[in-house]
Amino acid sequence: MTTARTALLLVIGCLTSIAAAARPVSYTGGWTVIGESDRQSSSALVHYTPSPNMSLGLKTEVNRDSDFAIYSVHPTYLAKRWFDANYQGNLYIHGGIGVASGINNNPQSDQMALYGGVMADWETRSLFVGYRNRYLDAGDYASQFMQAFRAGFAPYEGDSGDLHTWLMLEIDHRPSDPDSVTATPLVRFFKGPLLIEAGYNLTVNQPLFNFTYRF
Amino acid sequence: MHLPVKTVLITVALGLYLPANAQEHDDHAAHATHDTHEHHDHNDQGADSGQASHDAHHTNAGPAITRTEDIESALEQGGEPIVADVLGVVCDFCALAMNKIFGKREEVAAIYVDLDTKALSLVLVPGASLSDQTIAELAIQAGYRIADVRRGDEALGMAS
Repeated sequence: MTTARTALLLVIGCLTSIAAAARPVSYTGGWTVIGESDRQSSSALVHYTPSPNMSLGLKTEVNRDSDFAIYSVHPTYLAKRWFDANYQGNLYIHGGIGVASGINNNPQSDQMALYGGVMADWETRSLFVGYRNRYLDAGDYASQFMQAFRAGFAPYEGDSGDLHTWLMLEIDHRPSDPDSVTATPLVRFFKGPLLIEAGYNLTVNQPLFNFTYRF
Repeated sequence: MHLPVKTVLITVALGLYLPANAQEHDDHAAHATHDTHEHHDHNDQGADSGQASHDAHHTNAGPAITRTEDIESALEQGGEPIVADVLGVVCDFCALAMNKIFGKREEVAAIYVDLDTKALSLVLVPGASLSDQTIAELAIQAGYRIADVRRGDEALGMAS
Protein backbone atom coordinates (compact mmCIF):
# COMPACT_ATOMS: atom_id res chain seq x y z
CA MET A 1 0.00 0.00 0.00
CA THR A 2 2.80 2.33 0.94
CA THR A 3 4.66 1.47 -2.24
CA ALA A 4 1.58 2.05 -4.34
CA ARG A 5 0.98 5.41 -2.67
CA THR A 6 4.58 6.39 -3.21
CA ALA A 7 4.41 5.42 -6.85
CA LEU A 8 1.20 7.37 -7.29
CA LEU A 9 2.69 10.43 -5.65
CA LEU A 10 5.79 10.22 -7.77
CA VAL A 11 3.75 9.88 -10.93
CA ILE A 12 1.64 12.86 -9.95
CA GLY A 13 4.74 14.78 -9.07
CA CYS A 14 6.52 13.98 -12.27
CA LEU A 15 3.53 14.64 -14.45
CA THR A 16 2.64 17.86 -12.75
CA SER A 17 5.34 20.24 -11.90
CA ILE A 18 6.00 23.91 -11.70
CA ALA A 19 8.04 26.10 -9.49
CA ALA A 20 7.54 29.77 -10.12
CA ALA A 21 3.84 29.24 -10.59
CA ALA A 22 2.69 31.52 -13.33
CA ARG A 23 -0.19 33.55 -11.95
CA PRO A 24 -0.73 31.61 -8.70
CA VAL A 25 -3.97 33.57 -8.24
CA SER A 26 -6.45 33.25 -11.07
CA TYR A 27 -9.58 35.14 -12.05
CA THR A 28 -12.54 35.01 -9.69
CA GLY A 29 -14.16 31.62 -9.92
CA GLY A 30 -11.24 30.05 -11.75
CA TRP A 31 -9.62 26.71 -11.06
CA THR A 32 -5.97 26.00 -11.72
CA VAL A 33 -3.88 22.85 -11.72
CA ILE A 34 -0.22 23.52 -11.12
CA GLY A 35 2.61 21.06 -11.06
CA GLU A 36 6.18 21.55 -10.07
CA SER A 37 9.27 19.45 -10.20
CA ASP A 38 12.67 20.68 -9.22
CA ARG A 39 15.87 19.03 -8.17
CA GLN A 40 14.51 18.33 -4.72
CA SER A 41 10.79 17.70 -4.93
CA SER A 42 7.78 17.23 -7.12
CA SER A 43 4.36 18.57 -6.34
CA ALA A 44 0.83 18.99 -7.54
CA LEU A 45 -1.43 21.84 -6.54
CA VAL A 46 -5.08 22.40 -7.37
CA HIS A 47 -6.43 25.76 -6.37
CA TYR A 48 -9.59 27.78 -6.58
CA THR A 49 -9.71 31.57 -6.72
CA PRO A 50 -12.64 32.96 -4.72
CA SER A 51 -11.53 36.58 -5.12
CA PRO A 52 -9.03 38.44 -7.30
CA ASN A 53 -6.68 38.67 -4.32
CA MET A 54 -6.32 35.08 -3.21
CA SER A 55 -6.47 31.43 -4.08
CA LEU A 56 -6.95 28.40 -1.89
CA GLY A 57 -5.66 25.01 -2.85
CA LEU A 58 -4.70 21.50 -1.90
CA LYS A 59 -1.13 20.48 -2.47
CA THR A 60 0.79 17.24 -2.49
CA GLU A 61 4.54 17.47 -2.46
CA VAL A 62 7.01 14.62 -2.65
CA ASN A 63 10.47 15.28 -1.33
CA ARG A 64 12.48 12.76 -3.28
CA ASP A 65 15.76 13.14 -1.44
CA SER A 66 14.42 12.82 2.07
CA ASP A 67 11.64 10.31 1.45
CA PHE A 68 8.66 12.18 2.76
CA ALA A 69 5.54 13.72 1.34
CA ILE A 70 3.52 16.72 2.48
CA TYR A 71 -0.23 16.98 2.13
CA SER A 72 -1.31 20.52 2.77
CA VAL A 73 -3.84 23.29 2.42
CA HIS A 74 -2.17 25.97 0.37
CA PRO A 75 -3.43 29.57 0.31
CA THR A 76 -1.80 32.22 -1.86
CA TYR A 77 -2.45 35.89 -1.32
CA LEU A 78 -1.91 38.55 -3.96
CA ALA A 79 -0.52 41.32 -1.78
CA LYS A 80 0.02 43.79 -4.55
CA ARG A 81 -0.24 44.10 -8.30
CA TRP A 82 1.33 46.87 -10.30
CA PHE A 83 -0.18 47.78 -13.63
CA ASP A 84 0.62 49.72 -16.69
CA ALA A 85 -0.42 49.27 -20.27
CA ASN A 86 2.81 47.43 -21.00
CA TYR A 87 3.74 45.60 -17.83
CA GLN A 88 2.42 43.80 -14.83
CA GLY A 89 4.13 43.19 -11.51
CA ASN A 90 2.92 40.99 -8.68
CA LEU A 91 3.80 40.29 -5.09
CA TYR A 92 2.36 37.12 -3.61
CA ILE A 93 2.52 35.57 -0.17
CA HIS A 94 2.11 31.84 -0.15
CA GLY A 95 2.03 29.28 2.59
CA GLY A 96 0.66 25.99 3.73
CA ILE A 97 -0.16 23.81 6.65
CA GLY A 98 -0.47 20.07 6.53
CA VAL A 99 0.97 16.70 7.37
CA ALA A 100 4.38 15.28 6.51
CA SER A 101 4.45 11.51 6.06
CA GLY A 102 7.25 9.11 5.32
CA ILE A 103 7.42 7.39 1.94
CA ASN A 104 9.68 4.71 0.50
CA ASN A 105 9.68 2.78 3.79
CA ASN A 106 10.65 5.83 5.78
CA PRO A 107 9.56 4.73 9.29
CA GLN A 108 9.10 8.17 10.81
CA SER A 109 5.67 9.02 12.09
CA ASP A 110 3.45 11.71 10.62
CA GLN A 111 4.25 15.23 11.67
CA MET A 112 2.84 18.66 11.13
CA ALA A 113 4.34 20.62 8.25
CA LEU A 114 4.33 24.38 7.84
CA TYR A 115 5.76 26.44 5.04
CA GLY A 116 5.58 29.96 3.74
CA GLY A 117 7.29 32.51 1.59
CA VAL A 118 6.91 35.17 -1.02
CA MET A 119 6.82 35.27 -4.80
CA ALA A 120 7.29 38.31 -6.95
CA ASP A 121 7.34 38.79 -10.68
CA TRP A 122 7.40 41.52 -13.25
CA GLU A 123 6.76 40.98 -16.90
CA THR A 124 6.06 42.62 -20.18
CA ARG A 125 5.17 40.75 -23.32
CA SER A 126 8.82 40.04 -23.95
CA LEU A 127 10.67 40.29 -20.62
CA PHE A 128 10.22 38.43 -17.37
CA VAL A 129 11.92 38.50 -13.98
CA GLY A 130 10.74 36.62 -10.94
CA TYR A 131 11.78 35.66 -7.45
CA ARG A 132 10.37 33.25 -4.94
CA ASN A 133 11.38 31.80 -1.63
CA ARG A 134 10.05 29.36 0.88
CA TYR A 135 10.84 28.12 4.32
CA LEU A 136 9.59 24.67 5.21
CA ASP A 137 9.38 23.21 8.69
CA ALA A 138 8.38 19.57 8.48
CA GLY A 139 9.44 18.57 11.98
CA ASP A 140 11.99 15.80 12.04
CA TYR A 141 11.64 15.29 8.32
CA ALA A 142 13.17 18.52 7.20
CA SER A 143 13.77 22.16 7.84
CA GLN A 144 14.53 23.79 4.51
CA PHE A 145 14.92 27.20 3.01
CA MET A 146 15.09 27.86 -0.70
CA GLN A 147 15.03 30.86 -2.94
CA ALA A 148 15.14 31.20 -6.70
CA PHE A 149 15.52 33.96 -9.20
CA ARG A 150 14.37 33.68 -12.76
CA ALA A 151 14.79 35.88 -15.81
CA GLY A 152 13.66 35.34 -19.35
CA PHE A 153 12.66 36.82 -22.64
CA ALA A 154 10.25 36.01 -25.43
CA PRO A 155 11.88 35.89 -28.85
CA TYR A 156 8.60 37.02 -30.39
CA GLU A 157 5.36 38.52 -29.10
CA GLY A 158 2.38 36.25 -29.65
CA ASP A 159 -1.18 37.50 -29.56
CA SER A 160 -4.20 35.91 -27.85
CA GLY A 161 -4.41 32.23 -28.61
CA ASP A 162 -0.99 32.07 -30.25
CA LEU A 163 1.78 29.84 -29.04
CA HIS A 164 3.94 31.96 -26.77
CA THR A 165 7.54 30.94 -26.25
CA TRP A 166 9.91 32.08 -23.53
CA LEU A 167 13.55 31.30 -22.92
CA MET A 168 14.48 31.50 -19.26
CA LEU A 169 17.25 30.91 -16.78
CA GLU A 170 16.57 30.01 -13.18
CA ILE A 171 19.15 30.24 -10.42
CA ASP A 172 18.14 28.58 -7.20
CA HIS A 173 19.75 28.62 -3.78
CA ARG A 174 19.22 25.92 -1.18
CA PRO A 175 21.63 26.46 1.69
CA SER A 176 21.16 22.98 3.13
CA ASP A 177 22.05 21.19 -0.10
CA PRO A 178 25.60 20.16 -1.04
CA ASP A 179 25.09 21.96 -4.34
CA SER A 180 23.61 25.03 -2.79
CA VAL A 181 23.41 27.11 -5.96
CA THR A 182 22.30 25.63 -9.26
CA ALA A 183 21.34 26.91 -12.69
CA THR A 184 18.52 25.68 -14.88
CA PRO A 185 17.93 26.99 -18.38
CA LEU A 186 14.40 26.28 -19.53
CA VAL A 187 11.89 26.95 -22.23
CA ARG A 188 8.31 27.97 -21.49
CA PHE A 189 5.46 27.35 -23.91
CA PHE A 190 2.22 29.14 -23.34
CA LYS A 191 -1.00 28.66 -25.27
CA GLY A 192 -4.48 29.45 -24.06
CA PRO A 193 -5.08 27.81 -20.69
CA LEU A 194 -1.93 25.69 -20.76
CA LEU A 195 1.60 26.59 -19.77
CA ILE A 196 4.42 24.06 -20.03
CA GLU A 197 8.03 24.43 -19.02
CA ALA A 198 10.91 22.11 -19.73
CA GLY A 199 14.46 22.60 -18.61
CA TYR A 200 17.58 20.96 -17.36
CA ASN A 201 19.50 21.68 -14.20
CA LEU A 202 23.08 21.97 -15.39
CA THR A 203 24.57 21.76 -11.91
CA VAL A 204 22.99 18.55 -10.67
CA ASN A 205 21.98 17.09 -14.04
CA GLN A 206 18.28 16.79 -13.47
CA PRO A 207 15.44 17.58 -15.84
CA LEU A 208 12.70 20.05 -15.08
CA PHE A 209 9.15 19.75 -16.29
CA ASN A 210 6.36 22.06 -15.18
CA PHE A 211 2.85 22.87 -16.19
CA THR A 212 -0.11 25.02 -15.31
CA TYR A 213 -3.61 24.48 -16.61
CA ARG A 214 -6.32 27.02 -15.93
CA PHE A 215 -10.04 26.58 -16.35
CA MET B 1 18.73 28.19 9.43
CA HIS B 2 17.70 30.94 11.81
CA LEU B 3 18.54 33.71 9.41
CA PRO B 4 16.28 32.41 6.62
CA VAL B 5 13.46 31.89 9.11
CA LYS B 6 13.82 35.42 10.31
CA THR B 7 14.00 36.70 6.75
CA VAL B 8 10.86 34.85 5.74
CA LEU B 9 8.93 35.99 8.78
CA ILE B 10 9.91 39.61 8.27
CA THR B 11 9.03 39.43 4.59
CA VAL B 12 5.69 37.80 5.27
CA ALA B 13 4.92 40.37 7.96
CA LEU B 14 5.73 43.20 5.58
CA GLY B 15 3.60 41.61 2.91
CA LEU B 16 0.64 41.21 5.25
CA TYR B 17 0.98 44.83 6.22
CA LEU B 18 0.11 45.82 2.68
CA PRO B 19 -3.57 46.56 2.20
CA ALA B 20 -5.54 43.66 0.82
CA ASN B 21 -6.72 45.67 -2.09
CA ALA B 22 -3.51 47.58 -2.57
CA GLN B 23 -3.52 46.92 -6.27
CA GLU B 24 -6.79 48.75 -6.54
CA HIS B 25 -5.38 51.94 -5.14
CA ASP B 26 -1.75 52.27 -6.06
CA ASP B 27 -1.88 52.26 -9.78
CA HIS B 28 -0.57 55.65 -10.73
CA ALA B 29 -1.17 55.08 -14.39
CA ALA B 30 -4.82 54.36 -13.73
CA HIS B 31 -5.32 57.31 -11.45
CA ALA B 32 -3.60 59.65 -13.81
CA THR B 33 -6.58 59.43 -16.08
CA HIS B 34 -8.78 60.99 -13.42
CA ASP B 35 -7.23 64.29 -14.30
CA THR B 36 -9.14 64.44 -17.52
CA HIS B 37 -12.78 64.38 -16.46
CA GLU B 38 -14.94 65.50 -19.30
CA HIS B 39 -18.37 64.40 -18.24
CA HIS B 40 -20.49 63.95 -15.14
CA ASP B 41 -22.31 60.67 -15.34
CA HIS B 42 -20.03 58.65 -13.14
CA ASN B 43 -21.20 57.15 -9.90
CA ASP B 44 -19.38 56.96 -6.59
CA GLN B 45 -18.99 53.25 -5.99
CA GLY B 46 -15.23 53.28 -5.62
CA ALA B 47 -12.36 55.10 -7.15
CA ASP B 48 -11.15 52.41 -9.47
CA SER B 49 -14.42 50.75 -10.29
CA GLY B 50 -15.82 54.06 -11.39
CA GLN B 51 -12.78 55.00 -13.35
CA ALA B 52 -14.03 53.69 -16.65
CA SER B 53 -16.98 56.02 -16.35
CA HIS B 54 -14.64 58.89 -15.78
CA ASP B 55 -12.86 58.15 -18.98
CA ALA B 56 -15.65 56.83 -21.13
CA HIS B 57 -16.07 59.90 -23.24
CA HIS B 58 -12.51 60.86 -23.86
CA THR B 59 -11.81 62.14 -27.30
CA ASN B 60 -8.41 60.48 -27.05
CA ALA B 61 -8.59 57.88 -29.82
CA GLY B 62 -7.34 54.47 -28.71
CA PRO B 63 -7.28 51.27 -30.66
CA ALA B 64 -10.43 50.38 -32.54
CA ILE B 65 -12.31 47.14 -32.08
CA THR B 66 -10.47 44.01 -33.20
CA ARG B 67 -12.50 42.46 -35.96
CA THR B 68 -12.50 38.71 -35.48
CA GLU B 69 -15.04 36.49 -37.15
CA ASP B 70 -17.18 36.43 -34.00
CA ILE B 71 -16.93 40.18 -33.58
CA GLU B 72 -17.95 40.81 -37.18
CA SER B 73 -20.86 38.43 -36.87
CA ALA B 74 -22.07 40.09 -33.68
CA LEU B 75 -21.75 43.52 -35.24
CA GLU B 76 -23.85 42.39 -38.17
CA GLN B 77 -26.52 41.36 -35.68
CA GLY B 78 -26.64 44.95 -34.51
CA GLY B 79 -24.89 44.67 -31.15
CA GLU B 80 -23.19 47.65 -29.57
CA PRO B 81 -19.40 47.69 -30.04
CA ILE B 82 -17.27 48.48 -27.01
CA VAL B 83 -13.51 48.75 -26.70
CA ALA B 84 -11.87 48.92 -23.28
CA ASP B 85 -8.19 49.62 -22.78
CA VAL B 86 -6.89 47.20 -20.17
CA LEU B 87 -3.90 47.66 -17.91
CA GLY B 88 -1.60 44.74 -17.24
CA VAL B 89 -2.73 42.40 -19.99
CA VAL B 90 0.59 40.95 -21.05
CA CYS B 91 0.00 37.22 -21.46
CA ASP B 92 -2.48 34.60 -22.58
CA PHE B 93 -3.57 33.86 -19.00
CA CYS B 94 -4.59 37.51 -18.77
CA ALA B 95 -6.62 37.17 -21.95
CA LEU B 96 -8.12 33.93 -20.70
CA ALA B 97 -9.23 35.58 -17.47
CA MET B 98 -10.94 38.41 -19.33
CA ASN B 99 -12.58 35.95 -21.71
CA LYS B 100 -13.89 33.81 -18.85
CA ILE B 101 -15.26 36.68 -16.80
CA PHE B 102 -16.83 38.67 -19.64
CA GLY B 103 -17.83 35.59 -21.60
CA LYS B 104 -20.15 34.50 -18.79
CA ARG B 105 -22.26 37.63 -19.17
CA GLU B 106 -25.43 37.17 -21.12
CA GLU B 107 -25.09 40.73 -22.44
CA VAL B 108 -21.91 39.81 -24.31
CA ALA B 109 -22.28 38.38 -27.79
CA ALA B 110 -18.62 38.40 -28.78
CA ILE B 111 -15.33 39.11 -27.08
CA TYR B 112 -11.68 39.33 -28.00
CA VAL B 113 -8.66 40.37 -25.98
CA ASP B 114 -5.98 41.83 -28.20
CA LEU B 115 -2.58 41.60 -26.55
CA ASP B 116 -1.04 43.80 -29.24
CA THR B 117 -3.31 46.74 -28.54
CA LYS B 118 -4.00 45.80 -24.87
CA ALA B 119 -7.66 46.26 -25.65
CA LEU B 120 -10.75 44.29 -24.80
CA SER B 121 -13.20 44.21 -27.69
CA LEU B 122 -16.82 43.49 -26.89
CA VAL B 123 -19.98 43.37 -28.92
CA LEU B 124 -23.17 43.22 -26.93
CA VAL B 125 -26.28 41.24 -27.67
CA PRO B 126 -28.69 43.53 -29.57
CA GLY B 127 -30.69 45.53 -27.07
CA ALA B 128 -28.40 44.69 -24.16
CA SER B 129 -26.33 47.20 -22.27
CA LEU B 130 -23.24 47.02 -20.10
CA SER B 131 -22.29 50.09 -18.13
CA ASP B 132 -18.76 51.38 -17.83
CA GLN B 133 -19.06 50.71 -14.13
CA THR B 134 -19.90 47.06 -14.73
CA ILE B 135 -17.10 46.68 -17.26
CA ALA B 136 -14.65 48.10 -14.74
CA GLU B 137 -15.91 45.78 -12.01
CA LEU B 138 -15.72 42.73 -14.24
CA ALA B 139 -12.15 43.62 -15.14
CA ILE B 140 -11.32 43.73 -11.45
CA GLN B 141 -12.85 40.27 -11.05
CA ALA B 142 -10.49 39.11 -13.76
CA GLY B 143 -7.58 40.72 -11.93
CA TYR B 144 -7.05 43.74 -14.16
CA ARG B 145 -8.02 47.37 -14.56
CA ILE B 146 -9.75 49.36 -17.25
CA ALA B 147 -8.09 52.59 -18.32
CA ASP B 148 -10.60 53.76 -20.90
CA VAL B 149 -13.85 52.69 -22.54
CA ARG B 150 -15.05 53.64 -26.02
CA ARG B 151 -18.38 52.87 -27.59
CA GLY B 152 -20.15 53.15 -30.89
CA ASP B 153 -18.31 54.87 -33.71
CA GLU B 154 -15.41 55.62 -31.43
CA ALA B 155 -15.03 51.92 -30.69
CA LEU B 156 -15.23 51.19 -34.40
CA GLY B 157 -12.51 53.74 -35.07
CA MET B 158 -14.89 55.91 -37.04
CA ALA B 159 -15.25 58.86 -34.68
CA SER B 160 -14.32 62.22 -36.16
